[in-house]
Amino acid sequence: MLRFAARRLAFAVVSVAAVVFITFLLVHAAPGEPMLGTPERALASPETMARQRTLFGLDRPLPEQFLRYARNLARGELGESFVLHRPVAAVLAEAVPNTLLLGGTALVASLLLGLAIGVVQAARHHSRTDTLLSAATLVLYSVPVFWLGLVLLLVFGERLHWLPVSGMTSAGLEDRLSSLGRAVDVARHLVLPAASLALVQAAAFARFQRSALVESLDAEYIRAARAKGLTERAVLLKHALRGALAPTLTLAGLSVPYFLAGSVLVESIFGWPGLGRVAYDAIFARDYNVITATALVSGVLVAAGNLLADVAVAIADPRVRLDQ
Amino acid sequence: MRTRLALAIPLVLAACAKGPAGDAARAPGGTMIIATTGDADVLFPPVTSVTNGINVSDLLFCRLAELKLALNTVDDAGFRPVLARSWEHPDSLTIVFHLDRRAHWQDGAPVTAADVAFTFGVYRDPAVNSPLAPFLAAIDSVTARDSFTVAFRFRRWYPEQLYDATYHMRVLPRHLLDTIPAARLATAPFARAPVGDGPYRFVSWAAGSEIALAADPAWFLGRPGLDRLIWRVTPELATAVSGLLAGEADAMEVIPARGQLERVQQATDVRLVPYPSPFYAAIVFNLRRPPFADRDVRRALAMAVDRETVVRSVFGPFAEVAVGATSPMQWIWSDSISQLPFDTAAAARLLDQRGWRRGGAGGLRSSHGAPLRFTLLVPTSSQVRQQAAVIVQDELRRLGVDMRIQPLEFTVMERRTQTGDFDAALISRTIDPSPASLLQWWSPGAGGNIGRYADTAFGSLAAAAMRARTRAEAAPLWRSALGRLNDEAPAVFLFSPRNNAAISTRFRNVTIRPDSWLATVTEWRVIEARHIARDRGAPRP
Repeated sequence: MLRFAARRLAFAVVSVAAVVFITFLLVHAAPGEPMLGTPERALASPETMARQRTLFGLDRPLPEQFLRYARNLARGELGESFVLHRPVAAVLAEAVPNTLLLGGTALVASLLLGLAIGVVQAARHHSRTDTLLSAATLVLYSVPVFWLGLVLLLVFGERLHWLPVSGMTSAGLEDRLSSLGRAVDVARHLVLPAASLALVQAAAFARFQRSALVESLDAEYIRAARAKGLTERAVLLKHALRGALAPTLTLAGLSVPYFLAGSVLVESIFGWPGLGRVAYDAIFARDYNVITATALVSGVLVAAGNLLADVAVAIADPRVRLDQ
Repeated sequence: MRTRLALAIPLVLAACAKGPAGDAARAPGGTMIIATTGDADVLFPPVTSVTNGINVSDLLFCRLAELKLALNTVDDAGFRPVLARSWEHPDSLTIVFHLDRRAHWQDGAPVTAADVAFTFGVYRDPAVNSPLAPFLAAIDSVTARDSFTVAFRFRRWYPEQLYDATYHMRVLPRHLLDTIPAARLATAPFARAPVGDGPYRFVSWAAGSEIALAADPAWFLGRPGLDRLIWRVTPELATAVSGLLAGEADAMEVIPARGQLERVQQATDVRLVPYPSPFYAAIVFNLRRPPFADRDVRRALAMAVDRETVVRSVFGPFAEVAVGATSPMQWIWSDSISQLPFDTAAAARLLDQRGWRRGGAGGLRSSHGAPLRFTLLVPTSSQVRQQAAVIVQDELRRLGVDMRIQPLEFTVMERRTQTGDFDAALISRTIDPSPASLLQWWSPGAGGNIGRYADTAFGSLAAAAMRARTRAEAAPLWRSALGRLNDEAPAVFLFSPRNNAAISTRFRNVTIRPDSWLATVTEWRVIEARHIARDRGAPRP
């Protein structure tokens, strides 16, 4: 098991290094530059912009810039944001926890919802309920995340006033709330963005889970379980589900990039101050150091997600561990 | 005794009756949540360049004097005292400011002449790299004569000396900054948690999320009317408007999209407050490239564009047709400025005379086998400019001109225009209250003159306008200069959007100075009967 995890970890490190290298090259090769990143900056005189380029080393040859970046990265330094005038590490330290909260909540919610729907469908496969849920999950799976977000915002935020439409907390009320009140406040703000991300992915999980469960219900060990006299509920949840979890867990690991990419849109729509927003703003401002650092963090999160999924699958299904 | 009592009772009753109502009219209190689509960059005025950063730091740091609402940049009467209680012009090259001795930094230290001299040094220091430094080029020195008297010495005389001395700089606390190397000032902790001398104190900044300020009850010019100002960052415009309509926010500086404006118009608890914008948009021709070196071709293209149709189609009632390279914010804006008419017949005649005749494929004009064709760069970040480009394209096609539209990301378009790699570009310009900003974009050698327009007649008119002693003398000269620019047609000046702030009807006393929408926020009040939870939750400073 340890060798298995170590091999995966080494592969993840190489992948992340490649992501950083490619991102660095791409952002520097793209037209435009940080000093022209916003309309306001474009008003600065050419002399001012030239001094800025020198200050940030952007007037040096690209290989030299990369070597310097790699050296700093090896020392754990991510550089300084050209636009925000602060260390990139500080920018990310504020944003990453918020994205983990949003993405983690959405992942867990989508996994639980997807599993529940998949189990219900498998238990009643080929019934009217199964057909209806299949149609519903297909529709949900086809919906663009940003569109779903805007609809949820309009209905539950602006029209019904049930939930807040933007931000992570209620502006102006923080100092009146207890610790528990603040937690509830954050949870209320989390509902709509997390639901926007979770509903679409839950549909994917449900479809995978249904297929895997229906297949495993015909397996010999399930027939043996039924022959032992177990209830259908126990057969489904204790035996069939464990064997059929592997594809969904693998998909959960592979869905980390979906949640990261989705967070760019959802965080912008709902004003959630996370990594996606940081990346979005940095791309348009050509804030090279921030873009490369967000790619680094995203790469690490994706690799970690895959690693965890592999380990979880190996725990859930010992055959995988033996095969490896 | 009875007589005295009889007199006293009505007085006491009158005082009691007047108390709550009178206090309500002046009572400070309340919180304003401002929805904004962008965060601040840094709260250090010499380098702050993002709109929201400027809005916030404007309330933390004071100027020596402020422009009044009319934005008269020439006459001394156009300014009101702030840090300087008065000023005088002992000679044509000097302005002496007498500081208000009540002014203090929020750590208790007084604001002194040494702070003003230090500030000038910071803005001009190449290591700080302030984009505002070029605006201070005419100031030779700033020296403290005593603790509360500071003298500005200019290199030459001109009427906007007071404007340049006061508008571009916000005074900084020397005692908190003079030990920090100039190159590190923008990244120092002070720049993210500043100590100012303005009506509001810094409270907190959650990056990408929220900035909070609290009123300084001891501000030397009087306690502000609102206890707290909180900027809530909501990048998506539609969400920001939803937050406003749902009551989560109280105000937005500007709503730039027509569809969103119409949503706010239907709301009962939010009203639109229109004010002139500091922007205009124009199609700028690159005069280094044919056929735009030919003045008559430029004039023909300008006359072929029905700007009224463009503006009404894109903005409806929410913009003005530009009268030239200015906006209604500037005091030189006037309908009397000479403009080329919309006249397609005259445009066709001009092109015929210059040898651009119809006959090519699709009715295109050509000369010596070369079609009359060019590419217009448009930024993908501006939906309204993309819409306007399509309408102009259709109008020029009817004249036999093939204008191709190339949408480009903003930074890429800026790079292309700055290096001269373009035929024409649909640009937007942000201008200062001073008409002198005209020269930033249209004088030879200026960084903003991307089309390389050069005209001595325009230059002479602008120079004469800058020498005029009063606004009454300067205005006709500036308008003539703008008319000359229109006549030369280095650009087609399309529109100046009309800004609309959206503000909850809970607020009263709302006035807006077009160049800085919160310049008068110290006078804004919440109607006491309409206080809500966040107003009651505001900690009293």
